[in-house]
Amino acid sequence: MRIYASLIYIFLYAPIALIVALSFNAGKQSMVWTGFSVEWYGKAFSNPLITEALGTSVMIALATAVLSAIFGTMAALGLERTKGWLRIVFDALIYIAIMVPGIVIGISSLITFVTIFDVVNPALEALFNLRLRMGMWSVIATHVLFNIAVVALMVRARLQGMDRSLVEASEDLYATPMGTFRQVVLPLLAPSILAGALLAFTFSFEDFIIAFFVAGPDVTLPIYVFSAIRRGVTPEINAIGTVVLLTSLLLLLIAQWILQRGNKQA
Amino acid sequence: MKKIPDLITAEKFVEELRRYQKGSISRRQFMGATGLGLATAVLAGAVPGLRPRKAHAALSGTVNFTTWPSYFAQENLDKFTADTGVKVNVAVFGSNEEMLAKLQAGSTGWDVFVPTNYAISTYKDLGLIEELDLTRMPNYDPASQEQRFTAEGIIDGKTYAVPKNWGTTGFVVNTKNVTQVPSSWKEFFEATQGPLSGRVMVHDYQLTTIGAALKALGYGFNSVDEKELAEAEKLLIASKPHLFGINSDYKPSLISGDAWASVCWTGDATQLQRDMPEMKYVLAKDGGEIWSDFYAIPKGGQNLDAAYALIDFLLTPAINAIEVKAHGYPSTDSRTNALVPKEMLDNPILYPAAESLSPLEFGAAATLTNPLRAEIMARFKAA
Amino acid sequence: MSTHTRSPLVTGLLLAPAGVFFFFMLILPLLVMLVFSFGERAAAGGYVPAFTFDNYLNLPARGKAFLNTLTLAPLGTLLTAVIAFPMAYFLAVKVPPKWRVVMLVLVMAPFWTSQLMRYYAWIMILGSKGLPAWLAWIGITDVRLLNTPTAVLIGAVYGFLPLMVPPIYVSLEKLDKRLLEASADLGATPWHTFWQITLPLSLPGVATGSMLVFILLMGDYILPQYLGGGKVFFIGNALVDLFLQSRNWPYGAAVSVALVIIMFVTVYFYMRFVLGKTDQRRAALV
Repeated sequence: MRIYASLIYIFLYAPIALIVALSFNAGKQSMVWTGFSVEWYGKAFSNPLITEALGTSVMIALATAVLSAIFGTMAALGLERTKGWLRIVFDALIYIAIMVPGIVIGISSLITFVTIFDVVNPALEALFNLRLRMGMWSVIATHVLFNIAVVALMVRARLQGMDRSLVEASEDLYATPMGTFRQVVLPLLAPSILAGALLAFTFSFEDFIIAFFVAGPDVTLPIYVFSAIRRGVTPEINAIGTVVLLTSLLLLLIAQWILQRGNKQA
Repeated sequence: MKKIPDLITAEKFVEELRRYQKGSISRRQFMGATGLGLATAVLAGAVPGLRPRKAHAALSGTVNFTTWPSYFAQENLDKFTADTGVKVNVAVFGSNEEMLAKLQAGSTGWDVFVPTNYAISTYKDLGLIEELDLTRMPNYDPASQEQRFTAEGIIDGKTYAVPKNWGTTGFVVNTKNVTQVPSSWKEFFEATQGPLSGRVMVHDYQLTTIGAALKALGYGFNSVDEKELAEAEKLLIASKPHLFGINSDYKPSLISGDAWASVCWTGDATQLQRDMPEMKYVLAKDGGEIWSDFYAIPKGGQNLDAAYALIDFLLTPAINAIEVKAHGYPSTDSRTNALVPKEMLDNPILYPAAESLSPLEFGAAATLTNPLRAEIMARFKAA
Repeated sequence: MSTHTRSPLVTGLLLAPAGVFFFFMLILPLLVMLVFSFGERAAAGGYVPAFTFDNYLNLPARGKAFLNTLTLAPLGTLLTAVIAFPMAYFLAVKVPPKWRVVMLVLVMAPFWTSQLMRYYAWIMILGSKGLPAWLAWIGITDVRLLNTPTAVLIGAVYGFLPLMVPPIYVSLEKLDKRLLEASADLGATPWHTFWQITLPLSLPGVATGSMLVFILLMGDYILPQYLGGGKVFFIGNALVDLFLQSRNWPYGAAVSVALVIIMFVTVYFYMRFVLGKTDQRRAALV
């Protein structure tokens, strides 16, 4: 069993080790080793296109995480005591949002935007000299859709496992609904909201498939990497990959630690 | 970026002249520039006012430059950024169809892109590209261009695109692994299905891939005939299990040794041969493509000034010569050719003998929008 | 939450933002897609309104891509699950509690580096200077891995293992250890205990993980493009082709509609089959 686990770790980390190792490559081509150097780290972080792409990606992921955490939690709470057609419709929508493959979301959003722009833009241009175009906002919108569903499911699972007597006790003690929510419900839901937000951040930060279609002229980090791979990779990209890995590993460990503490308290 | 010749001395002038004359007279009638063109080149290099100025006060931001794989000199783009403060964001594409698809969908954000000769009329008809204002590109000289490569950039007397490079589409073979080098598309596909099974690549590009199959069958490179295309599709689908891959970015696989032969463009062959002399570039004797690429500006770009500045910069002979040295595609500009090293002008990959060029065809506009060719390419890939 | 009722207004406000997103980013695009799927390709590519079933009748032209996706996606999911299970079991049962989280995070972490970079690294590993060269060194020559279905399957397992292990781990960790002890006390062999108790109780986790991986694989086009080299072709690739090369939007829309229908049907039957057995629908969903 131990051997098996070790093999899995090797399997998982061998390619990453390769990426990291080649980030210290002195040569221009990331595929051929020519000597040790850390210059690509400097180059990567002084390359405005890379840092801009990184910034764009972080902003999109943060916005996605925050918006989906809030809207997803609201939806889970809203559905909690709802029955009838509204419940059925929303349940169905949540599952459809998760089940429709990313590429279909990307393409259908693209053609929808293009169609809308074709109608709206001439008028906007004539009236306000404005044009709508795709960009960061359309990436965020497509990402939030999927992640609202993810967060809603996670929060709902938590709601169902929640000890109802706590809420009832709070209400018996004449707490206002808002007070009960803030002091009892929210702390109990916090771990799952946080986990949902984290997942949303990850899916958004990593997404290439959808962003490729709806990013317009804006460049996210995965789009930059895709384009760099097509142009011929330099170790710059490896350096960025390494830094992103280390940062996310760190954030992940911190998040897990917070989550663990939350779980213990709950 | 240190190697731009600032001034050209008299000796150098004569040297360039001789080099140029030798090149042009011996076997490259199509380079056909005049001594006047050369003088302009030298002048352009020597007169400070005609060189890219250090300060472009009005320029800023990013210029999104969409081109083909391995088709630019990074040092030039770095210099442009250093001179103007404008960052250059390069994206590369694998086919004109892909570029057209992106532009049709809109919101590309591209400022400058590089269409091939046969695509320009479609872009113009669809209203996707700007008419170019030549006064904003003082370093571009229509008179020094080889006319047969530049004609398609001008429609109804208006210039929509200015020439970048020209080249050919043949195939490259690694002679270390392959002893029987095919000499025609017919042999290329036979070898694919035979001794080279699993080692051959074709472009992810309808024009060259379907064109090559059509030539192997003895038809026209640009055929849109239903029956002929059906046969080409059959040949391609029969070859597919024997291909290593379908990708317009084939160089990495050839370098790594995974692939031994591929449909190939001029410059990629030049670049491959630099490190791997065993790479042989073949212009198929049954035909193929001769082409020229252009710089064009899509409608709706956000940074028009920077777009013009970039094109003008890249067409400056001294800069253009560095481009040519880096990517190995011949220039259409005689002023640039005057500055390119002799060994490049003598390289038969860049300047093939006239008889091997004669069976080649320019791509035809109809192939770009022809639904059948598009669908056959897609079916071939999906097969 | 409580027995008290809530005003419909509050419910409405809580559901409104999600509803807006579901309408504008899901329902509307899917409807546009449906409308487009009955249209015709414009002369230079794109869409012109029409009402024709031709695009649907033409679907068999992408039969191979559907077939590829529908064999490699489930196979990749299955392989990932089979490889992930012992790992999750090891983490949940064998590893001392204080190390569990760290080790689990280490399994998940690769997912947090660029997917494209990782697949690119695999191109180097599977290319002829990588693994095949090593194999040749020990005497196994002429192994071709890159641009084959095998390469795509390896990539699938590699790419999605980090998503498959956690849900299985969670369901195994919840497992009451006393059940296992009781089973052992009653004289069941470890194998028997595994079949009768561990596996059924962990099914919700397996189901969740598999569902997620299956959905992602069905819509993938990067994995087949990078490790299949244009030779292993998924529906995702066919769609990218139709929208970004041949510019046949209506046909692409029809292919998308078909893909969505296939997703719904397979997921529906899958849920009935797997979840029907465990009767733990709710738990399985997270």
